[in-house]
Amino acid sequence: MFDSIIDPTIGPADGPGPFSLSARPDSLSGLRIGLLANTKRNAEQFLNEVGKILTEQYGASAVVARKKPDITSTAPEPILDDLAAGSDVVVVGVGDCGSCSASAVADGIVLEQAGVPAVVVATDAFVASADAMARVRGVPGYKYLTVPHPMANLTGDGVRDKAEAAIAGIVGMLTSQAMAASA
Amino acid sequence: MTAPADRADPADAADPAEQAKAVIEYCYEQGWTDGLPVVPATRPGVEAFLATTQRSDDEIIGSAPHLGRSITVAQAAANAIMAGCKPEYFPVVLAAWQALNLERSVRGGWQSTSGPAPLIVVNGPVRQRLDINCEGGVFGPGFRANATIARAIGLIVRNGYGIRPHELEQATQGLPGRWSLCLGENEEASPWEPLSSVGGVEPGVDAVSAVLIRTCEYVDNRGTDSPEAVLTDFADTLARIGAYLGGGHSSGGIVLGPEHAQLFGRHGWSRANVQEYLFDHAVRERGDMTAAGKGDGPVADPAAAGTPFRMMPSAKDIPLIVAGAANAAMSMVFRPFGWSPWSGRSVPVDWAPAFREATGGDLA
Repeated sequence: MFDSIIDPTIGPADGPGPFSLSARPDSLSGLRIGLLANTKRNAEQFLNEVGKILTEQYGASAVVARKKPDITSTAPEPILDDLAAGSDVVVVGVGDCGSCSASAVADGIVLEQAGVPAVVVATDAFVASADAMARVRGVPGYKYLTVPHPMANLTGDGVRDKAEAAIAGIVGMLTSQAMAASA
Repeated sequence: MTAPADRADPADAADPAEQAKAVIEYCYEQGWTDGLPVVPATRPGVEAFLATTQRSDDEIIGSAPHLGRSITVAQAAANAIMAGCKPEYFPVVLAAWQALNLERSVRGGWQSTSGPAPLIVVNGPVRQRLDINCEGGVFGPGFRANATIARAIGLIVRNGYGIRPHELEQATQGLPGRWSLCLGENEEASPWEPLSSVGGVEPGVDAVSAVLIRTCEYVDNRGTDSPEAVLTDFADTLARIGAYLGGGHSSGGIVLGPEHAQLFGRHGWSRANVQEYLFDHAVRERGDMTAAGKGDGPVADPAAAGTPFRMMPSAKDIPLIVAGAANAAMSMVFRPFGWSPWSGRSVPVDWAPAFREATGGDLA
């Protein structure tokens, strides 16, 4: 029916490639932790707290922190290459806006494709855009960690509390064999 | 796609109006519309649009690498048809799209919680040829070219990039008229050069300028003949704290009603004079900002303590446009999205020579 009507959503074909999650380590002990922050308020502070906790309590050996310059886009290749080369697992965050939650999910997917286990942290206000990005990237149902919104109005202690509350989820998603197998 | 049971197969409907209705419903079901009915795009329709421009149908005019999506000229044509454009509007749509893509903030803008709207401004004789309203009720509605050129941009974003509300588009509230703001500058009633010549295009050449905005706020000031008094009123609105995001400054421009513009012209004020006055007077006391919970960052700079805080980025980054009817002294402040002022670059409208000849010069 109405075969002559042109589908306005069809553009040049540049769809997503195949995807599978990287193999997970059993624990984070002795591993190098990559942190990929965006410019969202408190994102760096949150990830730095995560890095500290993983070092102090989970035996991580080092922290490599990077910040991407543009909140909307995926991280530039040199930053992703840097993280892939210099860390064993990466924590990405914090998705806390319409475009940056989506782009954080895209960063996580790109890192997994590069063979690096990654966990994306996003606030629960932007699940729809994060999920939509996962579908766009050909990974419907991609799992990421949600923390309660908001993040931007927290002070130092609040950020630390949020990191502590999220840490079990972060460690779980970076080490869960079940998660890797389910992908 | 199977037809719902409550809808007769349109092939059975002898009445063309019933068939048209079925087509409209079909487009809704595909998720292709912005909530209003669309015109179906067909191959002959797209061909007619492509004939107006020199650009090739498969040229890529926009990309969202993070979404893995690109948009071609032909795809833009299909969406412009759906928006209700006539073929001869298409070069203006393409110029508007190009002008928007000069905006630094545009990539994040389509998905942003701010939900910003393109404000599209057309200069040159194309305004008369396409009946683009520059006068009364310039913000709409009521004029096909104004309404559909702006709407075409919205459909290109929705269908081309796949950025839809509640999914990749995360506007907290959005704003009234998101895909409906296209106006002609009222050059005939302006004391100054066209906006497009500020944007680097010769006066008299068809050109489009565009900026993403978050809202418009009116300033009604009919009781004075003093330029300073009117500018004081404008500066108050420009300096509204709510528009400040942190990070140094907010941003603002004005669509001047012709009466205000002519008042400045009569008193010998150039566009630059007005911009400088507004830059100097759109200021807040730092304490006001602190009281509103916005006192950190640049506001708290100890070296600047005691001095007023400038709310605008610079004089030249306060775009001034003249549009509307000369029947009451009112103007509209608009708010560029994010920290970015207008790109400052206008885009000439590119017509296919063959199309120009075929229309006997009436259209281009």
